[in-house]
Amino acid sequence: MFRFAPYVWKTLWRHRTRSLLTVSGASVAIFVMCFIGSIQEGLNRMVQGEDAQRRLIVFQENRFCPTSSRLPEDYARQILKVAGVTDVLPIQVWTNNCRASLDVVVVHGVPAAKLKENRKLRLIEGQWSTFTKRTDAAVVGRQFARRRQVRLGDQLTFGSMSVHVAGIFESDSSAEEDLIYCHLLFVQLAESQAAAGLVTQLEVCLNESADPDSVAKQIDQALRTGLVPTTTRRKGAFQTATISDLVDLIGYAYWLGLACVGLVLSLVATTTVMSVQDRVQELAVLQTLGVRPGRVMRMILAESTLLCFWGGVLGVGLAWSILSWGNFSVGAEGVAITLRPSTAMILSGLGISLVLGSLAGFIPAYQATRTNLVSALRQS
Amino acid sequence: MPLVEIRNLTKRFRKGDEVITPVLDLDLDIEEGELIALMGKSGTGKSTLLNLIAGIDQPDSGSIAVAGTMITSLSRGKLADWRAAHLGYIFQTHNLVPVLTAYENIELPLLLLPMSSSDRRRRVNFALEVVGLTDRAQHYPRQLSGGQEQRVGVARAIVTHPTLVVADEPTGNLDEETSGQIQTLLQELNRQLGITLVMVTHDVDVASIASRQLRLEHGRAVAPISTARQTVPVLETSN
Repeated sequence: MFRFAPYVWKTLWRHRTRSLLTVSGASVAIFVMCFIGSIQEGLNRMVQGEDAQRRLIVFQENRFCPTSSRLPEDYARQILKVAGVTDVLPIQVWTNNCRASLDVVVVHGVPAAKLKENRKLRLIEGQWSTFTKRTDAAVVGRQFARRRQVRLGDQLTFGSMSVHVAGIFESDSSAEEDLIYCHLLFVQLAESQAAAGLVTQLEVCLNESADPDSVAKQIDQALRTGLVPTTTRRKGAFQTATISDLVDLIGYAYWLGLACVGLVLSLVATTTVMSVQDRVQELAVLQTLGVRPGRVMRMILAESTLLCFWGGVLGVGLAWSILSWGNFSVGAEGVAITLRPSTAMILSGLGISLVLGSLAGFIPAYQATRTNLVSALRQS
Repeated sequence: MPLVEIRNLTKRFRKGDEVITPVLDLDLDIEEGELIALMGKSGTGKSTLLNLIAGIDQPDSGSIAVAGTMITSLSRGKLADWRAAHLGYIFQTHNLVPVLTAYENIELPLLLLPMSSSDRRRRVNFALEVVGLTDRAQHYPRQLSGGQEQRVGVARAIVTHPTLVVADEPTGNLDEETSGQIQTLLQELNRQLGITLVMVTHDVDVASIASRQLRLEHGRAVAPISTARQTVPVLETSN
């Protein structure tokens, strides 16, 4: 089966500049495709997890930016009375940038006692007791810490807020690892003295039998008579709506990813066509010697697939390295999507490159097998 | 029974509005061990007949049987298998694969046959010895002279021990001296290894080594010019 492998390898090496350019072009396209895919994956992780479906976010009605939503913290007591609600976590959100950004800083002020109950955080550095004792203490997500090179004991300053890093945590949720948690009152007062008692949003925990959408309606109904009307949605739906502009952009990026697939296909197909056209006579000689048309086809497909696969390996490797090293997150309105390399990204990148390689070589390979041998042998 | 039996063979081409018939109702028998020279003016169908015998072209009518196999009724795939096992083809322009060494070029047809690597090595080394290029085995075609390239082409054609070898103007691209060496080589292969060889040539000197010369005219083979074997010198293996 592999007896002609040396011929295939030497054929690719014969025009090494052309082969290398094709591989590098394919690698850049596969890299872009993987990078875009990782944004899509990050969005899916954020809006499809269990928390995203089973928790509710109460936000001020007709408000989208965290800086404009101001709910009385006291709403938590009223929400707790609604059937199916087990707990309410008041959150004051602070962000350095409400617009879309690749380096967004999001601080969540929450009651210290409720943080451990409501979030599955594992401290990899520091102590919970330090966080609990110091009012200006913060625990920082691992992703954010890596990106900003934050260390335990550092003093971080964001706007008018200066916090002491009491711990660095990891979480099963990649979006959590991009957050900074502080004491609720500390974040409220950092905004202004008048902000005490006000929160950006309330996160509602439900029991297992509660229907999230039904409870959401009941909460909005119950708070209708309050000072500030609310809109309550599932956490995933809230996040998607909050960053709807970004979701639209990610949708457009998906088409960009598809364009990259088309680019690889066209690039490798062009190289393969050129390679076959250069060797019309040689391929005819091989067939005259007794190489079956099917084997000629497989050899050409092997050439195009190898070119594309090497491009895929390089592109996936590049995406993996940059995503691992960069710890990027793209966010807006205080909601961040983390970009992480994943096994699915590697497998899809390599799989797509293999499929594209085969497709790119198919037409030139088929043409090579249909060549009239006598005419091809006369070419010089 | 003849090795090659050609019956009522006709081949037509369409060139614009004109229909050309280079081979018309041709009957020809070739015995095992013969060295046949096909001669004739340009366009008389010599190469067409050779390509039909080699199974790389299909006739419009008629049949060709080689060693009992009706090659004109084989599919493309089966025909390729038949060529791999039974046919050696010597090209005018050598047609070696430029990225492969002389050794690898000669080994190429053997890769298509069920054969161990040690058997392949033994056969390639023997073929290299026959054509006198043992010391050039690892050279690439660009590192060989025209004569040496043609020797590699001859070695590639005989390495599978084919039933039949066809040669299309095997000395057409060579100077007089090198042409003489190749003539000698072909004659020795025919005599010493008993290889049946059909070659197309314009050159009367080259044709003189043949045991039978056939002249093609108007698509038909006319009476043989000569059937006498010529005396040839001992095979030279120098470069």
